[in-house]
Amino acid sequence: MSDRPLNKGPHDLGGTAAGPIDTTDHGMKFWEKQANALRSTLGLKKIVRVDELRRAAEDLGDQYYKLAYFERTTMALRTLLLEKGLITEAELKAKMAEVRGRFDAK
Amino acid sequence: MRSKRTRTRKALPSTYTPAPGHRFNVGDRVVIKRAFPPGHRRTPCYIRGKEGVIERICGAFPNPEELAYGFDGEPAKVLYRVRFNQKHVWPDYQGPARDLIEMEIFEHWLAPASGRAQTAGPTQSG
Repeated sequence: MSDRPLNKGPHDLGGTAAGPIDTTDHGMKFWEKQANALRSTLGLKKIVRVDELRRAAEDLGDQYYKLAYFERTTMALRTLLLEKGLITEAELKAKMAEVRGRFDAK
Repeated sequence: MRSKRTRTRKALPSTYTPAPGHRFNVGDRVVIKRAFPPGHRRTPCYIRGKEGVIERICGAFPNPEELAYGFDGEPAKVLYRVRFNQKHVWPDYQGPARDLIEMEIFEHWLAPASGRAQTAGPTQSG
């Protein structure tokens, strides 16, 4: 960590010690399929670019490795949609509250 | 018509695009800029400051460092495949001396190399 060059993103791992690779198939949860479908659709419609998604994911910094793959990509998508003004923080919060209510979740 | 489609696919030479006005040619020795600017960068930190040889000119592509922030990436930047010796890139490398690593790097990250060949390791003069 101390010899990490300035501005080295969390994705830039070349040369760091690597542990064992988890090769088990985790499958996809329902929300992951939905989030992935939304990301693909917005990509096909040229609303978000893969380069932008990568940048937004890299900007997660230390959070990058605390998140699972689809959590990371969904966070990146959230950033871009807010950045482009396609949704607002208030709309997102309201929708999330509505969905939570629907599933009786906390 | 399956056969027709196969023929069309085979006729495509490659996905590479022309790159008029390229600064470097195949065989040129280059050094990767040792810079650590903020932002979305496709050049991994471990290769910065290392010396390699142009293996091919891949084409000219919109600049991903600009696309990443919602710009159009124009003017397109020339992309090269650069060949490095593993022992040069990783001083502790245990594999055979002939082992290589190839990486595609945009022109604005490259500078002409001077001094001795990269097989001798990083040049001390620069």
